[in-house]
Amino acid sequence: MWSALEKMPAPATTYERIVYKNPSEHHYMKVCLEFQDRGVGLNAAQFKQLLISALKDLFGEVDAALPLDILTYEEKTLSAILRICSSGLVKLWSSLTLLGSYKGKKCAFRVIQVSPFLLALSGNSRELVLD
Amino acid sequence: MVRFKHRYLLCEVVSDDPRCRLSLEDRVLGGLIRDTIARVHGTFGAASCSIGFAVRYLNAYTGIVLLRCRKEFYQLVCSALPFITYLENKGHRYPCFLNTLHVGGTIRTCQKFLIRYNRRQLLILLQNCTDEGEREAIQKSVTRSCLLEERSDEEELSDNGGEEAAEAME
Repeated sequence: MWSALEKMPAPATTYERIVYKNPSEHHYMKVCLEFQDRGVGLNAAQFKQLLISALKDLFGEVDAALPLDILTYEEKTLSAILRICSSGLVKLWSSLTLLGSYKGKKCAFRVIQVSPFLLALSGNSRELVLD
Repeated sequence: MVRFKHRYLLCEVVSDDPRCRLSLEDRVLGGLIRDTIARVHGTFGAASCSIGFAVRYLNAYTGIVLLRCRKEFYQLVCSALPFITYLENKGHRYPCFLNTLHVGGTIRTCQKFLIRYNRRQLLILLQNCTDEGEREAIQKSVTRSCLLEERSDEEELSDNGGEEAAEAME
């Protein structure tokens, strides 16, 4: 039986393994800020100031200087799309989780979607309405 | 196998003001470093570095400080040291900076490095000194440290390094 296996010809196909590590340097987050009371408004600059102060509280001045960008911001719904470099994603997310208040008013960040590709944030299967 | 590993940072306090080194105290310096880590690395840095943090050795005459921190977080401490710009004691503020000389895993390796470093510093001082009386004093220390070095080379196999190390560190 072993001699029969040895006489079998080698397979003609060669296998090639491609490892695709995430090449995207940025991660994109869709977040929404919720306040306990209604009627609190922030403009884009105040929103960014809030994010940076959250990072500074937890991780200090070094990580408050991470290259963070707000790509879109809606003042009515207080939702935004943020861009952060991939090494800083965990730090930003954890500092958003631990942010409790803005100027004495209680608030919380809801993270709706996170993706290394911006195109993925355009459609969200959770908000899909099936007829 | 199962023990807490530390990193020992050997630093030198460099300052223009000669009174700065004399006002060094371990508690003041420890508090200053903790505040700097809290400012630079936030709550996370302050909490993670302060568990195993201690000022192990302080020499006010030469300005040498030996700090201990946990191995997992020693990079946070190392990166926060350049942000220390002044030393405050009894209301007086002295501008200074901390120069990291050596990072070691045990106190013994830091001590060995410090002995070699001090010998080299004595030779540099000998070249740079201007006063005759100072020159004689430094030359005497250099010859004494050379004799101790020869004696330690002979007794290398025996574990008697403690005595001569304590003498050379003066």
